[in-house]
Amino acid sequence: MTSQADYKDRQFLAVIGDEDSVTGLLLAGIGHVTAPPDSQKNFLVVDGKTDTATIEEAFERFTTERKDIGIVLINQHIADRIRHRVDTYTAAFPAVLEIPSKDHPYDPEKDSVLRRVRRLFGE
Amino acid sequence: MEGLLFNVNNGYIEGIVRGYRNGLLTGANYTNMTQCETIDDLKLQLGPAYGDFLASLPPNPSTSTLAAKTTDKLVAEFRYVRANAVGSLAKFMDYLTYGYMIDNVALLITGTLHERDTRELLDRCHPLGWFETMPVLCVATNIEELYNSVLIETPLAPYFKGSLSHQDLDELNIEIVRNTLYKNYLEDFYQFVNSHPDMAGTPTAEVMSEILEFEADRRAINITLNSFGTELSKADRKKLYPNFGLLYPEGTLMLSRADDFEGVRLAVEGVGDYKSFFEAAGLGGGVGGPGNMAGGSGSDGKTLEDMFYQKEMEISKGAFTRQFTFAIVYAWVKLREQEIRNITWIAECIAQNQKERIGNYISVF
Amino acid sequence: MSGAADREAVFPTRQSLGLMKAKLKGAETGHSLLKRKSEALTKRFREITRRIDEAKRKMGRVMQIASLSLAEVTYAVGGNIGFQIQESARSARFRLRTKQENVSGVLLPAFESYLTEGNNDFAMTGLGKGGQQVQRCRETYARAVEALVELASLQTAFVILDEVIKVVNRRVNAIEHVIIPRTENTIKYINSELDELDREEFYRLKKVSVYPWKLRHAAHTAQVANKKQRDNAAMDAEMKAKREAKAALELENGAPEEVADATAGPTDLLAAEEDEDVIF
Repeated sequence: MTSQADYKDRQFLAVIGDEDSVTGLLLAGIGHVTAPPDSQKNFLVVDGKTDTATIEEAFERFTTERKDIGIVLINQHIADRIRHRVDTYTAAFPAVLEIPSKDHPYDPEKDSVLRRVRRLFGE
Repeated sequence: MEGLLFNVNNGYIEGIVRGYRNGLLTGANYTNMTQCETIDDLKLQLGPAYGDFLASLPPNPSTSTLAAKTTDKLVAEFRYVRANAVGSLAKFMDYLTYGYMIDNVALLITGTLHERDTRELLDRCHPLGWFETMPVLCVATNIEELYNSVLIETPLAPYFKGSLSHQDLDELNIEIVRNTLYKNYLEDFYQFVNSHPDMAGTPTAEVMSEILEFEADRRAINITLNSFGTELSKADRKKLYPNFGLLYPEGTLMLSRADDFEGVRLAVEGVGDYKSFFEAAGLGGGVGGPGNMAGGSGSDGKTLEDMFYQKEMEISKGAFTRQFTFAIVYAWVKLREQEIRNITWIAECIAQNQKERIGNYISVF
Repeated sequence: MSGAADREAVFPTRQSLGLMKAKLKGAETGHSLLKRKSEALTKRFREITRRIDEAKRKMGRVMQIASLSLAEVTYAVGGNIGFQIQESARSARFRLRTKQENVSGVLLPAFESYLTEGNNDFAMTGLGKGGQQVQRCRETYARAVEALVELASLQTAFVILDEVIKVVNRRVNAIEHVIIPRTENTIKYINSELDELDREEFYRLKKVSVYPWKLRHAAHTAQVANKKQRDNAAMDAEMKAKREAKAALELENGAPEEVADATAGPTDLLAAEEDEDVIF
């Protein structure tokens, strides 16, 4: 079970998304860049040119390496590109949340958590 | 008098631009567009006006690619006109691009400050603000180098000189830099159309003065409204107001002292148009703070911004009633930009399934 | 004998019978408690899953509204502000706080969002144009993110509860299908062994009680005394060993008791031998 120390420091959100989603979420004020030496951002803009390895690396960084992130938001169509990683991710912290993007409306069928919900109810 | 020799050099351009103006979408087109169910339908509706440019789009394109393609058409047409322009019209059109250049340079400054690979940024620059030596700016690795290359390589040098040092680029918020540049640009443009021998005293000067004065006032009002609650001091704010326009000098002085929406309203009361804008906006949003918003879901109430755009379009439309003037080129570009914004807006509403606000576009034809 | 069935490796003594009975009782209590816990958690779990389902659908709508407000910004500013926003992000204004909620002994974390005061990275954005839309968009997105945070809480609760329920159900099943039957088997085994012992003892004693009739009284007394002495010596040794090595409890416990039984048996029966003869 998760211990207290595991999540009390988690105060940021992270986002992996297309430019519009990231811009919007940054406008909401979730953007954070850590102190200069390594200057880590908590967001990643994915466009057509971003390769899957970069996305995976960012996902890995947000979910396992950084201990100050409580929620990882990821665009559903980007989650699709690293679907195996998202589906096998089962830890409670940080919570991974698939969000719709502007150009890709939300499809509940693909959501890894929602699929688990469905499976549990045998639908 | 100006009509005598105008057509010798500029008759062809005027003809072309008037032709382009007739190609703009009309109210009926927009009505059809708002009935569309999908982006593909919309694409079909845009077929006659944008045919070739939209042909390469995949089925159900994203709104941003749609906007990019429609902008491409504007750029292509602008380049064609520019290539055929001679003499003072060519110079005039160069002036037109400086505004976009300022945005591009601001982008590059931001990129350099954050040590980004500036080459990537070139793709993001507005094509109308493209200048040949722009890639040279990307070589700069620190802000001082960039500052020097901007001074040497770009036509924007006069706007930097005297008001911004390279330290300023580092320390000031990029928005202040941008607005300082824009202020200098507007003043210079105003000066240009009113003092150049080919334009002074002609309809060009007349129409352009009206447009630029409006633009100057709009910026002054916007800067004031948007600076409430930020660290921008009143003295600094005053420096960003262009030194001409209908509000200048009394109105701008009052604006510089304004503390809230009410203060701004008082400041602009001297000008009938703005007064009515503020009255309309004031009713919608209530008094106090930046209350000129129509509210998150307000579909009927127009924002101040909307009314300014509407006014800009009216002026631009009016420019075409004059003959022998360069101002129609400016007006055409502005109308065209608005058209692109309208298309993007409608596409966005369709894509996001928010039909109730689809009517928020501005059409003057 | 029930040794063929699954049972624990114990010596069939009265003490281990007592232990087993206590164990069975404990297992039954534990089973009913866990069962109740599992039911409470499942109830909560179902509620959460239903809310997730709803919230996820709602989220689609919320995000659409937010994207539209971003489109409005693009419309008003007349260009893309994405890059500028990305570059001017410095310090998060929108942060999370985690708190806990106790559901049947399971600590479920919940996220709570709050805005830090005083750091506004984008105050100047859209200064010349579109600033009001930018501010409005920020509010819309902040609301959207709040909804997302709420959803994230639900989802985290879902993941944790899912895990906990699995563990609890596994325990319930283990108790129900393994521990209880095995303990019952063991008890049955011990009982049958004890009965067997009783019968053996009884038979032996019957033999013993017939014996004195055939022998003279003195010889009999001597034998009994002898036996007693031997038994007492053995018992002493065993008790000593027991004190020295308490670890091997079951084994040690069993032996002296048996000895004690054996000792007690003849003495008792000496007194009762007449009765027994009467019976048989």
